[in-house]
Amino acid sequence: MSHIDPRIAQMKFANRKPVGNLADPRLRYNYLNREIGTLPPDNREGFRWVSELAYKNIHRIVTRGWCTTELAEAGYGITDFLFVNWQARIPLIEEKAVLDYCMILGLDDGLSNPALIARLIVRGKSYLTQACGGSILAFGHAYASYDSTGQMFTKYVAKVEEGMSLDEAAKLCVKECQKEIHFGISKLYAKDPAPRKLLDFAEKKLSAVSSIKKMAFIPFVNALEKAAKAELGNDVCVDMIGALSACMCDLGFTTDGAWVLMAVTRAIAAGAHGLEEMEREGQDVLGQTLTPKEWYDGPADRPVPSLKERENIAGGQYQTPQEWRAAWLKKMDLKGTGYSVDFVIEDPKKAAMKQHKKK
Amino acid sequence: MDRKPMFQRKTSISYKTEEKTVLRGYNVTEFAEAGYTFIDALFVLFQGRIPAENERKILDYEVAVFMEHSMSPSAVSAIGVMNGHPMLPPAVAAAVSTFGGAHGPGAAHGYMIKKYLDRAFDENKTVEEVARACVDEYMDAGLAVMGMGQPQHIEGDPRAHPLHLKHEELGVTGVYRKFQTALEERFHARRKEEGKGYVGVNVVGAGNTILCDIGFAPYAAWTIGSVSRGWSCACHALHQLKKARAWSASRNEPMVQMLDLSMIKYIGPEDREAPPLSERQEYAKKQLESGEYKRWVL
Repeated sequence: MSHIDPRIAQMKFANRKPVGNLADPRLRYNYLNREIGTLPPDNREGFRWVSELAYKNIHRIVTRGWCTTELAEAGYGITDFLFVNWQARIPLIEEKAVLDYCMILGLDDGLSNPALIARLIVRGKSYLTQACGGSILAFGHAYASYDSTGQMFTKYVAKVEEGMSLDEAAKLCVKECQKEIHFGISKLYAKDPAPRKLLDFAEKKLSAVSSIKKMAFIPFVNALEKAAKAELGNDVCVDMIGALSACMCDLGFTTDGAWVLMAVTRAIAAGAHGLEEMEREGQDVLGQTLTPKEWYDGPADRPVPSLKERENIAGGQYQTPQEWRAAWLKKMDLKGTGYSVDFVIEDPKKAAMKQHKKK
Repeated sequence: MDRKPMFQRKTSISYKTEEKTVLRGYNVTEFAEAGYTFIDALFVLFQGRIPAENERKILDYEVAVFMEHSMSPSAVSAIGVMNGHPMLPPAVAAAVSTFGGAHGPGAAHGYMIKKYLDRAFDENKTVEEVARACVDEYMDAGLAVMGMGQPQHIEGDPRAHPLHLKHEELGVTGVYRKFQTALEERFHARRKEEGKGYVGVNVVGAGNTILCDIGFAPYAAWTIGSVSRGWSCACHALHQLKKARAWSASRNEPMVQMLDLSMIKYIGPEDREAPPLSERQEYAKKQLESGEYKRWVL
């Protein structure tokens, strides 16, 4: 085996007695006489943490070339630091103002999923940081779908850049994506002007610096809202995820960057929800919470068969696609098994095209 | 003491009264008293049935060999989190959360097989035919074939082939194993035709195939595999807590620690002075105009 890695030749080998199937000749290599111990180091440079984001030494912490203490002393604040950290640049004053607005709106949302997770976690008398960290996990491709929404916008903004008119691109997006949960246009904010006000604020601010920074996403979302109203009715409008995603993209954040930046923003409020739960409510112990039988719709109560009776139980393997398909459909009846959950495996050609684009 | 649940939900998994806890119809105390094992309970939980003895044995084997994998992303995460001395659970949660597209018993492998078995059913093809098509389509597209290859065990994962043999020995092979076998044959043949080196089956290719053959939906298989790694990662976190120094940066240790300052290799923008606020707008404009910053955006 030394041709695989010459370091193996420096190692000791252990001759073992056969156990189980380990002497089977069908095994890929000889399991009875394998090397023991860890692989010796090779001649490459030793491991180091490579980063283009930040470094520190005994006296200085630097991100993107700037000493963080010097930046703070010069008067830069957290929203500036976010641009520095994520985009390696000092933001325009107008950009900083828009990010501030986005983060204010993204901070709290009432008893939403992240807040509830935080509250549940602290009920176990956990560290508050666990509640904050756990809340971040609520951000997915539906709830707070900055990544999915931003990617959808990016696709149609690219079409505009390729020459399609803004209105045509918006109409196409409505046609192709109106049923997506991350669409960004819905009835959710029909009575709450917050997303519209954010977009108007951002548009006004960024228009002032349009000679050096052109907006693409905010105009697209405005056109999308217009096209959606025409197609779906006047009671739909841009919602919070649509407005925030467009603004974050026009601020130059990547879609996945926006996702996690806003997730951490929300986690701060989750900490407050956790604190309030501690202050106003109680803690739970294992076994405390009951689940009424009336809520249960699984298999009826049944006796546990004896181990002797178990010998008559047959396994559940299927040998043909026909048997397998029938079994899969039947298993969908029992929830909590995973058989009813959709999981789309993309066509390999399409997946490859995406990877190619990414590179 | 308030014993009402915070959420009201219909559930077919379990209920709990003051007298008993019932999982898929079975009183859990009676289940344990009858001599059933934790592994049997996993079948009840995810499938609502008691497994045949051979099915229990193979799941026990699979979970056992998957539990510990030394330095993998999951263990490293547990150790990294524990460096800050939070409570132990966050370190374990982080470890379990590392299982994604590249690490561990991904559900995607099972759903890939499902996709091609659906094709076999819909187009009246054999399992072997669609398995070969799967390999060709992934390799033609330049994509990795799920279930094959492991960056550390370059001769084939030491758990994988024994898992395959145990799968056969216990007589629990089904349509997933038939597919996986045909997939591996085509994969090896094609790499050989193309003059490429050997890439072995990994523990997903072997283990996930077993889990699906014994009736777990790919998502359920993912849960069992990934969370079982959490046990050993909890132990790695404990080791870090009890036997190593917090921060992993001490200069008093005989070995350079992973967070020693010398371990950082910075390749970002050169050191530069912070512009005074009075000049920031002009500075920011120049940065935007030059566009150099774009190469650093994450």
